[in-house]
Amino acid sequence: MTFTEKQTDPTAPMHWRGDMQADYFYPNGVAGDKFFKHLMEKDSFLATKCKKCDKILFPARLYCEDCFEEIPDEDWIEVPAAGTVRLFTVATINAQGKKMEEPKVIAMINIDKTDGAMLGIINTKELKRDFIGVNVKAVFRPKDKREGTLKDILYFEVV
Amino acid sequence: MAEEKKYEGYPKYAPGTHVSTKDITERKITYTWWEPEVQYAWSLGPAMSRFLQELKAGKIVGKTCNKCDRVIVPPRMFCEYCFGPTGEWVDLKDTGTVETYSISYLDPDARRIEEPILIGVISIDGASPQHGFMHYFGEMKPEELKIGMKVKAVWKPENEREGSITDIKYFKPLKGGEE
Amino acid sequence: MKKEVAVIGAGMTLFRRRLKETGKELSYLAAKMAMEEAGIEKSDIDMVVMGSAPDAFDGIHMKGENLLDGAAGVGKPYVRVFNGGGTGVFGPIAGWWHVASGVADVCLVVCEEKMGSCFPHPQTAFRHIWDPILDRPLNPNLVWLFAMEMNRYMTVYNIKKEDIARVAVKNKRNAVGHPCAQLADPNITIEDVLNSEMMAWPVQRLDISPPSDGAAALIFCNKDKVRQFTDDPISVAGVGWNIDSTMWTNRDLCFPRYVANAAKMAYKMAGITDPPKGIDFAEPYDPFDYKELHHMEGLLLCGKGEAPILTREGVTQRDGNLPICPSGGLLGVGNPIAATMGQKVCEVYWQLAGKAGKRQIPGDPQLGVGQAWGDIMQMATVMALRRG
Repeated sequence: MTFTEKQTDPTAPMHWRGDMQADYFYPNGVAGDKFFKHLMEKDSFLATKCKKCDKILFPARLYCEDCFEEIPDEDWIEVPAAGTVRLFTVATINAQGKKMEEPKVIAMINIDKTDGAMLGIINTKELKRDFIGVNVKAVFRPKDKREGTLKDILYFEVV
Repeated sequence: MAEEKKYEGYPKYAPGTHVSTKDITERKITYTWWEPEVQYAWSLGPAMSRFLQELKAGKIVGKTCNKCDRVIVPPRMFCEYCFGPTGEWVDLKDTGTVETYSISYLDPDARRIEEPILIGVISIDGASPQHGFMHYFGEMKPEELKIGMKVKAVWKPENEREGSITDIKYFKPLKGGEE
Repeated sequence: MKKEVAVIGAGMTLFRRRLKETGKELSYLAAKMAMEEAGIEKSDIDMVVMGSAPDAFDGIHMKGENLLDGAAGVGKPYVRVFNGGGTGVFGPIAGWWHVASGVADVCLVVCEEKMGSCFPHPQTAFRHIWDPILDRPLNPNLVWLFAMEMNRYMTVYNIKKEDIARVAVKNKRNAVGHPCAQLADPNITIEDVLNSEMMAWPVQRLDISPPSDGAAALIFCNKDKVRQFTDDPISVAGVGWNIDSTMWTNRDLCFPRYVANAAKMAYKMAGITDPPKGIDFAEPYDPFDYKELHHMEGLLLCGKGEAPILTREGVTQRDGNLPICPSGGLLGVGNPIAATMGQKVCEVYWQLAGKAGKRQIPGDPQLGVGQAWGDIMQMATVMALRRG
C-alpha cells in the first residue's frame, strides 16, 4: 500500500540543509606513539617482529592480528625509511573531487626489511613513468618542525 | 602495557593508559587532528514539507490515522503503530499543554550560561493526547513552568518566517480568556 | 533446535575520559583478557561480534571494520552490531545468536568505544542524534532530553531529588572495588550530589556518568562443549530486546514500556514468573541516577514509582535483598557506551561465578539480569544469566 497523496506543488520545500560539525583528536596509540616519537628524532622507521609467525609488521603494532600475540619492546626493530613501489597511480582529482592543478603520483610502497607497506606521494615530474619496482626513500620535515604525525614525512623521492 | 596492578577477583587488572588534557596540550603524546567537513540536504518528504509550509503560514497542522483513531503531530505519511498510510490533514490550534520541561544552564555546546534556557515538550490542542513536539518557553520565570500548564505559541512576524520549527519563537503561558 | 549457551570468559580495560590506546589496541587488551580467563587462543574462536556505538565518537567511519584486527576478527565470520547505548547488552545478545543457532561453538564478543576522540566533547557528536528538521533547529543539548524524562518521572510519581541522588552515592561507592573505575568515591554523600553544578534542571553534574574510552569482551560457548573450559558453567537463561518509536514527543516518558517488553521476552525464556523473587541481583543501565530507578521499574523488579523506596530502605545495596549495580554501574565505573558491557553482562557473569572479589555479593546468587538502554530513549536490551 502506498501513501495516499503525492507532492504536486513545485514551490513546496523539498530539502532541509545542514552539516555535521565535529573535530577529532586521534591519539596515535601505544604503538603509534612509539613510532612517531622515534620519527621526530630519527630519519628511519620502526617495525615490529612477531616471534610466532616471524613476520616483520609495518606499520608497527602492539600485537600481531593474525597470531593475536602482543609484541614486547625488545621485538621492535629499526628499518630504513625507504622501499620499493608495489603499485601506483597518477591522481588528477583531489579528495573533494575537483581537478588538481598538478597531478600527483600516489604509490603503495613496500618498506625495506619489512613485510608491510605504506601509502606515499612520490615527488616527481615524470608523470608517464612506470614506477613499479622503483626504489624510493622518504624525505622528512626539518627535525625542529616535526609534530609526531604522518605529515612529518613530506613525500618520497626516487633514489 | 601499562602497569599491571593485580586486584582480588576479576577483572584481575585494568590495562589501558590514562591521558590527561595536560598530556595533550603539552604534547606528551603524539596525535593526529582531523576536521571533517560534511554537508547534508535531507529530504523532507511530503509530510514534513507540508508541515513546514503551514508553519510559514502561521499554522500547526496534524494528520489523522483513521485505524488508530488518532490525530498525529508532528504529521507523518504512515502510522508507526498500525503501519498503514495516514489520512487527512487537520488544522490544529497553536495552544497546548506542557508535558515535561527542563531549565537548562548549559547552552547547546555545553557551555555554562547565566540566564537559563527553558525547553520542553508541548502537546498540541486538537491532536491526540500527548501528541506534540519540543520547543522553547518564554515570557515566564523558571519557577512558573509546571507540567500540565497551558501555553500558547508566539510566532515570528510573517516576513521573518522561513518554513521551519523556529517560525514559532517559543510558547508562553496562556492567560485565562486567551485562545 | 536452539542450543544452550554458556559464558566462559570476560575482560575489560581501564575506563577513563581519554586513553592513549587506539580503538584497535583497546579491543585487543579486552579480548586478550577474556581469552586468558577462558584459556583459549584465537584459533579456538569460531566467530566474532563487535559492538560499538556511533562511528561519530571514534571519528572513524565504518569503525567495525577498523576495529576487527584488535577483536581477533581477521579471517573470521565477523559482524558489527549497534543500537546506541543498548549495544552493551545487544553485543552479547548477538553473540548468543551465533552460538544458540548452532553456527558457532565459540563466539567472542568485543565492545569498544573511544568517546575522547570527539573534540572538545562528545556532545558535538550527540547533537546529530536529533531529527534534523524538528529538533536540531532548536539547538538542543542531549542533557535537556534526559532532564525532561527525569522531570516527567519525578512529577508523575512524586519522587524527591534526595532519593535519586542516593543512587549516585551508592554506585560511586560500589565502584571502589573495581580496578577499571573512573569515578569511584568512597566518601561521596547525598549533599555532594545535591550541591553539584546544575546542568539542566533537574539534572546536576553528579547525576550524570562521564564519557569514557574503554573496551570489554565476553566469550560464549556451546554448553555441550563447556566442560573443556569449566566445571561450573554460567549459562544464558534468557534474552530480550525491544524498541519504541523515535517520535519521543508522542510518548509518555514516565515509564519505559520498551524495557518492560524486553524484560518480559527474556523472563519468558528464562522461566521467571515473579521477577522480584526469581532474580537475585540486577545491573540496569545507569547513565543517570534516575535511570537506575526508571529501569528497575521497567525490568518489573518493583511497581511503578517504587524503586526510590527500595533504594531508600537499602534493599539495593550489595548486602541488601536485591543488589542493584554491584559493579558501581556507569555512574561509578564510567560510560564508554558499548563497552559498558563490562559492568553489565561481564559483571553478572563474574558475580555468578564468585569471581567479583571486593564487589562480590554475599549469599549465593543464582540468577542475575543485565540491561542496557539506547538511542533516543527507545532501545532496551536484556540478558539474564544463571548458575549451572
